[in-house]
Amino acid sequence: MDEKSIKSEILSTSSDERRIYKSRIQKFKKSHFHYVVLLSSIAALQFIAIAFFTRGFLLTRHVLNDLTPPFNNTHTPYEAEFNKAVILIVDALRFDFVIPVESDTANQYYHNNFPVLYDHFVQSNGGTSSDSSILLKFIADPPTTTLQRLKGLTTGSLPTFIDAGSNFNGNVIEEDNLIKQFYENGKEVLFVGDDTWDALFHPFLSNNSEPFESLNVWDLDTVDNGVINFFRDNLINRNEKSHKWDVLIGHMLGVDHVGHKYGPNHFTMKDKQIQVTSFINEIISSLDDDTLLVVMGDHGMDHTGNHGGDSIDELESTLFLYSKRPNAFSESINVDDYSVTNMGKTYKQVNQVDIVPTLSYLLGTPIPFNSLGWPIEEIFNSENGKRSMMRAVLEQLDTYKDKMGIDLEDGFEFDGTKEHTTEQILNRAYLSGDFELAQKYQTKFLEICKNLWARFDYHSIATGVTLMTISTVLLLSVAKVIPSIVIDQMVPEFTPWIIIMTLVSTACFHGIYFVYHQPPFLNSILWSTLFGAAIGIIIGCCIPIFDRYSLGWIFIRFFQDLIADYWTCIGTLVVLMHALLFTSNSFTIWEDKIVSYLLTTFGMLTFYEFVFLPKRQSTTALLTAKISENEGTTSGVSSSVANSNSLPLSRFARLLGGYHSLVLLLCTRLASLITICRGEQGEYCTPTFTNITNYSNWCMILCFLIIFLIPACIKGYYNLTSSYQAAAPIWIDIFLKGILFINFIYWGLTAAENTVSDLDYDFTIIKFTIARIIAGFTLIAVNAGWLMGPLCIKLNVHNTDVKSHQATILGYTNIYGSEYFLLVINTLMALMLYNKPLAQVSIFLMCNQLLSILEIIDLLKLKENIIGPIILGLLSYQQFFSTGHQATIPSVQWDVGFILTDTITFPFTHIAILYNTFGPHILVALSVALLTLWNQPPDVLKPQTLLGRIVSNSGILLAYHSILCLSSFIWVTHFRRHLMVWKIFCPRFLFAALSLIVTQVVVTFGTVAFASSRLITHINNIFWG
Amino acid sequence: MTKKNKNVKKRVTFSDDTTITTHHTHKKKDLDYDRPPVYIRKTITTVPFHLLALLYYYIKVSNNYDTLRLLLTLIPLQIAYLIFQFNRCTIYGNKRLKINIPLLLITIGGSVLLSVPAMVIIILFGAPFVEHIFQTWLLALHASFLAYPALYSVFNCDFKVGLWKKYFIAIMIGGWISCVVIPLDWDREWQVWPIPVVVGIYLGAFVGYSITAYI
Repeated sequence: MDEKSIKSEILSTSSDERRIYKSRIQKFKKSHFHYVVLLSSIAALQFIAIAFFTRGFLLTRHVLNDLTPPFNNTHTPYEAEFNKAVILIVDALRFDFVIPVESDTANQYYHNNFPVLYDHFVQSNGGTSSDSSILLKFIADPPTTTLQRLKGLTTGSLPTFIDAGSNFNGNVIEEDNLIKQFYENGKEVLFVGDDTWDALFHPFLSNNSEPFESLNVWDLDTVDNGVINFFRDNLINRNEKSHKWDVLIGHMLGVDHVGHKYGPNHFTMKDKQIQVTSFINEIISSLDDDTLLVVMGDHGMDHTGNHGGDSIDELESTLFLYSKRPNAFSESINVDDYSVTNMGKTYKQVNQVDIVPTLSYLLGTPIPFNSLGWPIEEIFNSENGKRSMMRAVLEQLDTYKDKMGIDLEDGFEFDGTKEHTTEQILNRAYLSGDFELAQKYQTKFLEICKNLWARFDYHSIATGVTLMTISTVLLLSVAKVIPSIVIDQMVPEFTPWIIIMTLVSTACFHGIYFVYHQPPFLNSILWSTLFGAAIGIIIGCCIPIFDRYSLGWIFIRFFQDLIADYWTCIGTLVVLMHALLFTSNSFTIWEDKIVSYLLTTFGMLTFYEFVFLPKRQSTTALLTAKISENEGTTSGVSSSVANSNSLPLSRFARLLGGYHSLVLLLCTRLASLITICRGEQGEYCTPTFTNITNYSNWCMILCFLIIFLIPACIKGYYNLTSSYQAAAPIWIDIFLKGILFINFIYWGLTAAENTVSDLDYDFTIIKFTIARIIAGFTLIAVNAGWLMGPLCIKLNVHNTDVKSHQATILGYTNIYGSEYFLLVINTLMALMLYNKPLAQVSIFLMCNQLLSILEIIDLLKLKENIIGPIILGLLSYQQFFSTGHQATIPSVQWDVGFILTDTITFPFTHIAILYNTFGPHILVALSVALLTLWNQPPDVLKPQTLLGRIVSNSGILLAYHSILCLSSFIWVTHFRRHLMVWKIFCPRFLFAALSLIVTQVVVTFGTVAFASSRLITHINNIFWG
Repeated sequence: MTKKNKNVKKRVTFSDDTTITTHHTHKKKDLDYDRPPVYIRKTITTVPFHLLALLYYYIKVSNNYDTLRLLLTLIPLQIAYLIFQFNRCTIYGNKRLKINIPLLLITIGGSVLLSVPAMVIIILFGAPFVEHIFQTWLLALHASFLAYPALYSVFNCDFKVGLWKKYFIAIMIGGWISCVVIPLDWDREWQVWPIPVVVGIYLGAFVGYSITAYI
C-alpha cells in the first residue's frame, strides 16, 4: 500500500553506513578523474604514434591545380601535326603479347596472336607500305591499378596512393590533364569503355560518350562489344548519324578481365586477342590522313593475370602510334632498339609519363601543368619541330619546378661536370638545342620527383612503431600486469607526473629544435611538440610505475600473466593469431573468414566447457572466489551467494551456458553469410551484400521482422535476471521498437526508389525528414534521457498486508548491467539508420552475440580474464566484415554519407560514415564495461573497485587494438615494396589505425569518463545516498 | 522418486560427463571392488601406422586426391585397428575385454550418425553450406570413422568414462590447425576443399591415438 515507506524501510541505512558511503563515493570521484587523465594521456600517446607512422609511411604528392594557359596568336610554340586522334586503350596489354615470340618459348594462348601492331610497324619502316607507325615498350609506374594509371597517363605525373589535395568524395581529377587540355582547346572528346573515365573526366567528355560498368571482372565481353559497336557507328561506318568528335577514346577491358578471371594462360585470352586484332585492323583501314591512331595498354599483368604491383610483367605495356601519312614519324637509326628477340627484353622503352607531351605535341595542345614527361623522340619528323617542342617542355618543367619549390641546386650533375647549375643547363639546352642534354635533365628531374614522392621517412616510421610499442606495454601494465589494487593507489600519482613531464619535455624539445634544429626529422614546431609530448607522457607514466616495480619484475609478470590459466592462454592465442594475419597477403585478404573462425572456436570451447565441465572449472573458480571474498559483502547478498563462485556450475547454469554458446555459434555463422567480397578473394567468394540483395523483398521482410526480433531478444536477456522492469519496457518496447519501425520506413522507401523503376513520387523530402528525426532522437534525446538514470528495478511486494514489510527488488542482481545496456541500446538505435538493410540484420545478430558473450563470461566467472575484452574485440571485427565492409578503400560505403544531408556538411556526413564503418567497434567499445557490470549486484564491490575493473577490461580491449595496429605497422613497413602493399597492406594499416582511434575515443570518453562514472554514482546514490 | 533419480542420472551420464561424477563413482568402485579405472596400455601397439600409410596413398598414389576411395579404405582398416591393436591395449578393470561383434557393427552405424553433428560443426566453422555439401559430408565421415575405435570404447563403457573424449579432441585439433593452409594463395591442387582438413584430421588422429596413453 504505502510503497514509499516500504522502500525507505528496505533501503534505509544506518548513519555509519552512510558515512562510509560518502567517503567511498568521494574517493571514487577523485580516482575516476585520475583514471580518465591516465587513459586519455595513453590515448594521446597512441594518436601521436599513429601520426608519426602515417607521416613516415603514406607517400603524399602535393597536387597543384594550376592550368597551363592555352596558346594564343602571340605564343604558339608548336603547331598541331594532326587534327584528330583515335586513342584505343587495351587494358593490361602486356608488351610480349604484341611482338613475335620465338616458337620454342612462346605460349600458345597469349603469344603471337596479336601481330597487327608489329606487322604495321615493320612494314611502314621497311618501306613496304606508305603509312608510318611506331611501336614502343611502354613502362608503367607503380601502382599499376587502372585508376592510378589513367591519372598518370593523362596528367603525366606520378600519382601516389593518396594524393594530397584530392577531394573527399568526387573522383574528378582537379589537376591539369590531357583531356582537360583537349576540352579547353575546343576539341570534342568522345569516349567509350571503362566507366572509370567517366568518373575521372566527366566534365570534359562529350555528352554522347558511353561509359560501361567496369568492376564486374567476370564479364568479358560487354565493354569490348560496346567499344567495338561504338567505334563502328562513329568511325568505321561513319555516316551522318555519327557523333562529332576530334578525339575518340576507347578503353577495352576484355584482356584485363580474362587475366583476372582465368589468368593469361587460357584459351579465352587467344580469342580475346584475336578479336582485338581484327578490331584494330578495321580501325586502321578506316582512318584518314589527318587522324592519328594511338593504341596502348595501361599496364601489364603478372602470371596469374592480376596487376597492381611493380613486377616487370605488370609494368611492361605497349604503345603504338600510327598514321596513314607517309613519314609522319622518324624511326631511330639504331636498329637494335627494336629487337624482339628474347621477348623484347632490350626493346626500346618509354615512360608512361611521356605520352602526355607526345600527344600534346602531335595534337597541338599545351602541355598539362603537372606533366613530368619528355616527348618520344620518334614523333618528330623535322628538326624545327623537335627544337621548339624541347623548348616548350623545358619551359613547362621549369614553371612546374618553381611552382613546386623543388630545389635542384645540389646533387645535380652529369657528364662528370658538376659546375652546371640548373640555369646553365637550361640555357645550354635552349641555345644549342641539345636534345640529349635536355632529356637527361628531364630524366634527372623525374627521378628527383620520384624520390620526393616515393621516399619513406624511416625516422618517422621508427618513431611511430616505438611509441606504439611503448604505449601498448603501458596499457598492458596498467590493465593487467600491475594488480588493480595497486593501480588504484597509484592512479592519483600519474596525473601530476604526466602533466609536469609533458610540459618539461615539450619545452626541452622545443629548445633543442629551435637552437640546434635537431633531431632533423622533426621539421616543424608541430612535430617537435608532438614528439616532446609523447616522451613526456611516457616518462610521466613510468615514474610511478618504476617507483614500485622493477623492469625485470614487470617483464616476468608480463609473461606469467599471458599464460596464467586456460582462458588467458586462449585469449593470448587469439590476439597473436589475429596480429600474425598481417604477415601474409592471403591471410589479410581472408581476414573476414578467419575472424569468424576464431569467434566460432571460442563458441565451441565454451560449449565444450558447459557440456563437459572439465576439472579446471573448480580451480579457476576458487581463485576468483577468493578475491571476491576479500571484497566482502556489505549487505544483502548472503555469504553463500557470494561464495557461489567456488561451487561448480549448477545444471541450469550449464544448460543456459550451452544455449548461449549455441546462440553465439549460430549467429556467428549466419552473420558470416553476409559479405561484400573483396576483389582478391576472386571466385572463392560470392558477394551477398549487393544493392540487389539489400533492396530485395526478402531482405525488406527480414528488416521488418527485426523490428520485433531485436526488442524480443533484448527482453529475453533482461528477463533472465528479471530486469525487464521500470525503464526497460519504455526503452526497449517503445523507443527501440519505434525507432526500428521508422528506420524500416526509411529503408523501405530507399528500396522502393531502387527497385521500382517508374516511381513518379519523389521521396527525398520525406526521407530527409525521417532520417533527421531518427538522428536527433537517437544521438541527443535518448542519451539525455539516459542521464536521468533509468533504473530497471521494481519493488515487488509479496504480501498484501503491509505489516510484514517483506519485499524483494526485482532486477537487483543486474542493476548495473541493465541500466548500462540502455545506453548501448541508444547507440544501437543510432547505428541502425546508417546501416544498409542486410547490415541491420547483421547488427541484430550482433546483439544476440554480444549478450550471449556477456552471459557466457558471467557464467564462467571470467569477468576479470583477458578473454572477455578480446572476444568482444573479435566480435567487433567479425561484425565489421559482415556489415558489408572490407579493409579496402573502395568498400567504404560513401553513399550513406548523404543520408542526413544532400551535400557534404561537416558533422553529418562524417557522423554517418563513421557510424556506418565503425558501428560494431563503437558498440563493442561501449559494451566492454558490461563485462564487469553485467549481472553485478550493487553491494558486492566498492565503486572504486568496479571502476578499476572497468578500466582494466577497457585497457585490454585497447591493448588488443593496439597490438593489431602495431602488427600492421610493422608488416606494412616490411612489405613496403610488396606488390600488394597499396591494395592490401596499406588499407589494412589505415583501418587498424582508425579502429584504434575510434575505440580509444569511445572507451576513454564514452565508457570510462561519461557512462561508468554516471552509472556508478547514480546507483550508489539510490542505495546509500 | 527413485525413477526420477534414475532419469537424472541417466541424463548426466549421457553427456559423457565428466570427470567429477565419474571420478567419484570410480573412486567408490575402486574402494569397493579394488578395480583400477579404464586405461590404455603405454605401448607402441596403439600407434595407428595405417593412418600414415593411408595418407601416403592419398597424397602420392591416389589419383587427384580421391577422398571417397580413401574413406572406403579407411573403414576396414579402422575396424582391423580396433580389433587387433586398440582393443588389445585397452584395459577395463584389470582385464582386456574381448571384441564385441554386435557392438562393432552398431558402432559403424554410430559413426555414420556421428558424421551429422560433425558436419554441423564443420559448417559452423565456416564450411560452405550449399555447395560442396557432399565433400563436407565426406570430411565429416572421415572424422567420425577416425574416431571409430574411440566411439566403440565409449559404447563399451556405457558412456561412463571421460578418457575417450581426448581422441575426439585430438581429431578436432588436427582439423582446426590444418585450416591454416586453406586461405594461402599458393594455387596448389591440394588446397581444394576438403583435402587439407582431411590430411589434418588424419594427422590429428595419428597423434591422438599414439600419445593419449601417455597424457
